[in-house]
Amino acid sequence: MSWAEDATQLAVERFGLEVCEHEGPEVGTDRLVAFCRALKDELDFCFFVYVVSVHYPEVPPVEADAEAGVEATPGIPDRTVVNYRVRRLANGDRPTETFAFRTTVPTGGSTPTVSGVWVGADWQEREQYDLVGTVFSDHPDLRRIMMPEDWPGHPLRRDYAIETSHFPWR
Amino acid sequence: MNEIESSLPNASLNDGVQWTTVGGVQVPVELLAPAWPDPFLDVEEYDPDGDLMVLNMGPQHPSTHGVLRVKLVLDGEICIKCVPYLGYLHRGVEKLCERLSYVQITPIVDKNDYVSPMTNELAINMAFEALVGAEVPRRARYIRTICAEIQRVGSHLLWLGTFGLDMGGAIGGGGSIFMHTFRERELLLDLFEDLTGCRFHYNTHTVGGNRHDIPAGWADKAVKVLGIIGTRLNEYEDFVRDNHVFRARTVGVGMVDPKLAIELGVSGPVLRASGVDVDLRRDQPYAAYDEIEIAVPTETGGDCFARYLVRVAEMRESIRVATELLGGVPEGPICSLKPVKLPGAVKAKHGRGVYTAIESPRGELGTFVVGNPERRQSAIPYRCKIRSPSMHALQLLPYLCPGNNISDIIVTLGSLDPIMGEVDR
Repeated sequence: MSWAEDATQLAVERFGLEVCEHEGPEVGTDRLVAFCRALKDELDFCFFVYVVSVHYPEVPPVEADAEAGVEATPGIPDRTVVNYRVRRLANGDRPTETFAFRTTVPTGGSTPTVSGVWVGADWQEREQYDLVGTVFSDHPDLRRIMMPEDWPGHPLRRDYAIETSHFPWR
Repeated sequence: MNEIESSLPNASLNDGVQWTTVGGVQVPVELLAPAWPDPFLDVEEYDPDGDLMVLNMGPQHPSTHGVLRVKLVLDGEICIKCVPYLGYLHRGVEKLCERLSYVQITPIVDKNDYVSPMTNELAINMAFEALVGAEVPRRARYIRTICAEIQRVGSHLLWLGTFGLDMGGAIGGGGSIFMHTFRERELLLDLFEDLTGCRFHYNTHTVGGNRHDIPAGWADKAVKVLGIIGTRLNEYEDFVRDNHVFRARTVGVGMVDPKLAIELGVSGPVLRASGVDVDLRRDQPYAAYDEIEIAVPTETGGDCFARYLVRVAEMRESIRVATELLGGVPEGPICSLKPVKLPGAVKAKHGRGVYTAIESPRGELGTFVVGNPERRQSAIPYRCKIRSPSMHALQLLPYLCPGNNISDIIVTLGSLDPIMGEVDR
């Protein structure tokens, strides 16, 4: 059994999470820190790899139209999906393996920091706050890290307008 | 131990080390610090009278290896708190990746880690191949591995030269080691020029393989050059290793706690110099590394001298690996896809995230790519994140600096080998 399977088992049995085959379990923001602690303390996922926020703009709801054959779909609000990945270093006969999980933060909300669990998350969370605008609550030093302090907006959001007449590819 | 060596300041030795298990891996006991310095120290509370001095080192300081600003709070010459400021070289590479197609991104990421462009290209193209589902032919995997190993030698040579400069006149009078290592690096750049037509930003990897095949006679020339560098490495060893000043400046300076380093995500030579036996080339083989045995040099010193020893041993190992692979490059195609005529030719099939990682000269260089599920946009990544090893190594600085002299801080920073182009992206 691999390290990632151990972690998946932990997510399913202890935390009752649903596991997507390719992207790992979706953890609620309220249980994120407890889940991270369990991963680190019990399964030795000590090596911090990354935290990446991905912004998805709002999807408006579609009303049912019987004539056109369109089914009604509920809209999805503007949100940020925060992807985490940690690594279990190689030991003995089991190879090194990474484990990914994620949490969804609606725009205007916040997610707890994991820099208390893995100190390496500190700068990466600052980077994601700076570039994507995800707010990590309880972070010890949540400042902009790449852009100037007075920069307006967060450049890696999908709704951040780029003023350029040149389109490299379309 | 000969007479000269016994008279030198104590070097790190691998014998008689006590080991313990931390985070599932074996680490030397004596490197584990009882407590780590607080990087968020409240200076006003620590020093209500305001006697401390604030010194900004950088962003244009020659020893910061680029444009890094480090704010040091000093008590006399001893550092109390250290705050690095990044972002002076931020070029928005990740935003650019959301505007360019998969085949157009390679020349952009060349400029990330400008000391080892080959490994950057390899890292990002491996992620794209995983997303697109492209196979890489065996010959291309061999060429990639050879390029990555030669690049590792070149990168570590540059590091050795600039590390000598960091210590001022410590080695052979000012910049002489720098001149020597750059002479050798020139030979490697010539090799890459013969292979790709470019000396620095190669753009030779592409999704599904390579763009340039090995020209006639190149393999023999490469073996010869690697042999020359192997002999010159012995000269550097005589030059540097047993130098009293070099040892005095590096032994016992900048001790890295392996437990802290693992939690911070520090990888590569810095982690291996702290006794942690980790190397993605061996642990999680990619390209052609599954077809060759890799010896992973580790040291248990945890100081700047141990990091020097690890990097020199890695150069020797890379020379051996590259020479061995050059002898047996298989025949066949070098790219599994047809030559790309339009930038939108390579398309992702799904909108999931994919992560792949390689062992760059600085550590785990990973790429996380999310494909764009929309059909019109399927040739452009939705989100691309580059996990740079330098950024994590630099995170050690607030933990290493407190309690040290300014001169030791400069040596410590140099030994971490941060490349600011990769940190800021």
